[in-house]
Amino acid sequence: MQKKDNVTLFVQCIVDTMYPEVAESMVDVLEGLGLHVDCPTEQTCCGQPAFNAGHQQVARAAAEKFITIFEGAQTIVSPSGSCVNMVRNHYQDLFKDDPAMLARVKAIGERTFEFTEYIVDVLGVEDVGARFNGKVTYHASCHLNRFLHIDRQPRALLANISDMTLVEMKDADKCCGFGGTFAVKFSEISEALVEDKVNNIIASGADVVAGCDMGCLMNIEGMLSRKQSPVKVMHIAELLAGKSYE
Amino acid sequence: MSEITSAEYKKVAVDSIADPVLQSALESLQSRLGPATQNLYQNLPEGQELRKTAHGYRRKAIDNLDILLEALADNVEKNGGTVHFAATDKEAVDICLNIARDHDVKKVVKGKSMVTEEIGLNHALEEAGIDVAETDLGEFIIQLADEKPTHIVAPAIHKTRQQVGKLFSEKLGTPYTEDPPTLTFDARKALREKFLTADMGITGCNLACAETGHITTVSNEGNIRMSTTLPKVHVAFMGMERIVANLEEQQSILRLMSMGAAGQQIGGYVSYIGGPAAENHCDGPQAFHLIIVDNGRSKILADEEFREMLCCIRCGACLNVCPVYGKIGGQAYGSAYSGPVGAVVTPLLFGVNNAADLCTGETLCGACRQACPLEINLPRMLLALRAKLSEGDAKWGVQPKGKSEKLMFEAWQKIIKRRKVYDLFLKIGYVLQKILPAQDGMIRRLPFPFNGWTNNRNLKPLAAKTFMQRWKEREGGKQ
Amino acid sequence: MPGRTEFIQTIGKALGRGAGNAGDADIFTTTASLEQEALLARIKTRSAAERKQLRGVIEQVAGPLHIDFHPEDNLDDIAGAIGRLILEKDPEWGTEKSVVRWDHPLLSRLHLESLAELDGVTLHTTDCVSGGQGAKVSAAAQRSAIRENVEASFIGITSADYLAAATATLVMRSRPGHARSASLVPSIHIVVIEEEKLLANLEELYTLLKWDPEEQAQGLTNCLSLISGPSKTGDIELVMVHGAHGPRELHLFIVKGEAP
Repeated sequence: MQKKDNVTLFVQCIVDTMYPEVAESMVDVLEGLGLHVDCPTEQTCCGQPAFNAGHQQVARAAAEKFITIFEGAQTIVSPSGSCVNMVRNHYQDLFKDDPAMLARVKAIGERTFEFTEYIVDVLGVEDVGARFNGKVTYHASCHLNRFLHIDRQPRALLANISDMTLVEMKDADKCCGFGGTFAVKFSEISEALVEDKVNNIIASGADVVAGCDMGCLMNIEGMLSRKQSPVKVMHIAELLAGKSYE
Repeated sequence: MSEITSAEYKKVAVDSIADPVLQSALESLQSRLGPATQNLYQNLPEGQELRKTAHGYRRKAIDNLDILLEALADNVEKNGGTVHFAATDKEAVDICLNIARDHDVKKVVKGKSMVTEEIGLNHALEEAGIDVAETDLGEFIIQLADEKPTHIVAPAIHKTRQQVGKLFSEKLGTPYTEDPPTLTFDARKALREKFLTADMGITGCNLACAETGHITTVSNEGNIRMSTTLPKVHVAFMGMERIVANLEEQQSILRLMSMGAAGQQIGGYVSYIGGPAAENHCDGPQAFHLIIVDNGRSKILADEEFREMLCCIRCGACLNVCPVYGKIGGQAYGSAYSGPVGAVVTPLLFGVNNAADLCTGETLCGACRQACPLEINLPRMLLALRAKLSEGDAKWGVQPKGKSEKLMFEAWQKIIKRRKVYDLFLKIGYVLQKILPAQDGMIRRLPFPFNGWTNNRNLKPLAAKTFMQRWKEREGGKQ
Repeated sequence: MPGRTEFIQTIGKALGRGAGNAGDADIFTTTASLEQEALLARIKTRSAAERKQLRGVIEQVAGPLHIDFHPEDNLDDIAGAIGRLILEKDPEWGTEKSVVRWDHPLLSRLHLESLAELDGVTLHTTDCVSGGQGAKVSAAAQRSAIRENVEASFIGITSADYLAAATATLVMRSRPGHARSASLVPSIHIVVIEEEKLLANLEELYTLLKWDPEEQAQGLTNCLSLISGPSKTGDIELVMVHGAHGPRELHLFIVKGEAP
């Protein structure tokens, strides 16, 4: 177990601008675990939207900014598997022809952790003492599950929340159809996918769908809301921080 | 030679999503084959590591392709076969037409072969007055219906039993039935006649073995064995990358391929064919021709970024898990190769700009890589294709796609570069979003070019204060 | 050969062949690993008890693979059971009952021709050597006679070189007297194989084919078939149907080994 000390927040832009309460919950949980949290407030976006759309020049510029901001940080923690995948894996693709930068992004990637991965794998904690009264189903987001191979960690943390009932939805690890700009460019396909996801969530009987990526949850929430479903989306940090849903 | 219709991707995709019959067929396919394959991987006696090892075998074979093809050709010739090398689709087709002419071929029976679809062989044979019968049941159905295959392994997956029943009663004159065993028997009867009278059998090659000089063909129906045993001439087409060096490597790969293709430990029939029948053998073809096809593959080979794609053995496992394929089916991809494999191979073989939507029309969820028996990194190659499409690429002759997206991202780059500018834009956005139609505190309609999002979804609005602002206030409060 | 040199050169160029990049010297494996040697030894020294175990494995996997595994394990009983199959089963394509079998010593020892109940049944052998009534018949004429007999037969009886238990995979090579079509064209395929030919799995099979000196000398021949069950298809709505183009049924008999 690593020494409990400083962690630096790397806040996904979607969380920063649309779901700030998620980052606040993350701070509550980390501080509750005895950590000192800091947050460089000049951060914006890791560049993933540009990278996924093929605009590697633009993504490289975003990555350079990220590196400048975070290079001094000892441990970087983010509430998004997708963003961590970008920093840990794709930054290396972006700088594969630049050995000096490659070394830097590799080093920073090794210090960047997804929130649940950090708690379970680095801190060795699987029970943060949270309590939640309700029925929750877990959406295993793609980049987290398939690219970072993080699945056990969030499930372990969820399983230890007291009073909570965890129900498994059908195809929990199937893509929700978000895919960044895909959701807008190929909206018909994206909608068809999120419709299945939402139907599976509703069929599970859960009050809440939880996950580790607000990109997916934003997509899911968008359709739940259009369907006027009472099911709420919550980032796992909110559940672990003991937030209730209204 | 074969025409591709990938430019219609989005249009066909939308039509497919609206087709409830197709949707239920795709759902049934994916819910059965996807988990069956995963289950077999998890129970591999050698452990899942075998998949990485097998990837290594394939990669090494591709890195030594010249050596392996020379060895294969020498060994096949030693066994009495003839080997042809075709640089282009046209050359491949012409070689086959010449063989047909030399042997006075009137009737051909064909095993399912992706490369012959790719080069448009059937059409050319028919033009030459030769009767061509596809004999894989799925391909037979597709041929009768005059359609294109929509799945690499299950070509007629989009057809219901009712549709097949109607088709058979119209084209074969059999009484209408919806019973799959009866329909299969009707096809069996019609095709038996074809097998027994054909002069030439044409097949693909799943994976050749260089050291022994054999091609392998895999099927469950037995149609490929029929095509390679009964007619007097056997012509096998092989994409030049479909080869490994050694028998022991083939053992692992053929097993993994069967798992990926059909959720089986091993295909029902695996045949090793190394040449024509020996003189003192009772049956088998008198002539064996192997046509090795490049048709754009050497270009893929030369590019380190895409060379991994040549490891693909076309098992179709990625189709059985891809969420996008699961909604749009195979037709939208517009070539013989559909699904995630098609999204990478079609642009590389037929031109990136011709198949632009194929490069961008996926969610990058990674299910394809997880399902691939060889764990081929398709998402990585999709991203590489997107980069070519966005930024242009001289080597691949790619024209950068429309300017508007590029301008948008460049503007975005300027915005995210400085937090102050970023915050300013967020503030403007926060104010402007208030004029958008809302539903329960969510945005109900977005303006162009983001309107796609809100056709059937709402969007969470920007928060009044970003987390960074809240953080600064909190930290300020502490002091 | 037109095109070959140029074709290979194009590949060489794509691979960046030249000084220092001549390809991997070890691309072809020429010596067996220690594990492979050990596996070979294990196959060669397999005990009767172990073979019996493999028989048990086949009994288990046969069902799911739609293989009819028969319990008879000595030649007399097997001949009787085959006789009953011939009587019970109906021809798919006509009314005449013809049966074709390989010219194979094990199958000859079944003496099917002496089964009284098979009186009205024509028994053919895919015999490449003897031809017609003592007269020397051309190879082409022999082949067309065999082809005719195979087409006319509703049952084909063959043996096999090996049977890999884990997947119930039969291994057949093209040889004089062993028609490939006998296991393919008739509606019902019957296989009789000795227990000594049982292997545990495909890994054992490939290890033998690759490293056993006798196997190396023989080679794969121009046609080696691995057969794991009867012909099947799922091409219409994924409904599994047996008997797509090849045999609808596969019956398997394993002859018990001689007592040591």
